[in-house]
Amino acid sequence: QHKQISGVSSGCQQGGCLTCSDYNGCLSCKPRFFMHLERIGMKQIGVCMTSCPPGFYGTRSPERNTCTKCRSECDSCFNKNFCTRCRPGFYLHLGKCQETCPEGLVRSDTQRECV
Amino acid sequence: LERPALRALIKVTLFKHELTGKPMVLEGVFVGGSAGKAEGKLLQYHPLSLCNTSEDERQDGDFITIVKLERRVPRCLPLLDKANMALEKGAQAVIFDVSDDDQAAAELRETDSLPRPVILVDAQDAEELMGLVNKNEEANVIIEIKVESKWPQYD
Repeated sequence: QHKQISGVSSGCQQGGCLTCSDYNGCLSCKPRFFMHLERIGMKQIGVCMTSCPPGFYGTRSPERNTCTKCRSECDSCFNKNFCTRCRPGFYLHLGKCQETCPEGLVRSDTQRECV
Repeated sequence: LERPALRALIKVTLFKHELTGKPMVLEGVFVGGSAGKAEGKLLQYHPLSLCNTSEDERQDGDFITIVKLERRVPRCLPLLDKANMALEKGAQAVIFDVSDDDQAAAELRETDSLPRPVILVDAQDAEELMGLVNKNEEANVIIEIKVESKWPQYD
């Protein structure tokens, strides 16, 4: 019989997990934790985290706090529309990652910013 | 007269046995008038990953999604929308393990508008598939329509 133990079981020994199953990992998180869906090879399991990993931002809602991926040109971000660090080849200006900089500013490859 | 649900053959070959291995043949049921052939690598999606169209992971190459449905996961969308979302994310077909969510089977059987194959599995067939996923055994899956023999065997 498939093991489904709420809280801690072999597949989901994590502090932030509220309910979980062996195959899906965390199904829901304790209050204040974020649900992050982690891809490990062919598997995708739920993980409950106090803050989202780089490349993701946290969104709180009554049903669930979730980690959502930043825009593709963005390495890290506050939210969907405000990037804090760009991917190589993109330059940060006013929270946006662009391939070119506005007039009067130049591209800094080290900081990946328009300076 | 209700049309009998077409059964699916799910042929699974582990990548590591690709050349020599004989495929493991499992069965499921097509839903939503979606019976057809499909092929791709097996890829698990958490039930919560089919809730919004966030720009999450893009897969390269053909893949077949498997989702283990659980009643304890609050339904963020009707299953038909989840199936369509998985197909929009590029899946060649979607397999739903309904072993722990019997309502799902009833809900999905009502649909009739799916563009690519969607299959329900449960019990031993589901256990075999999810066992592979749990061990992260990369596998290629071929889905075909099971041709029922014309004359049922009378003992």
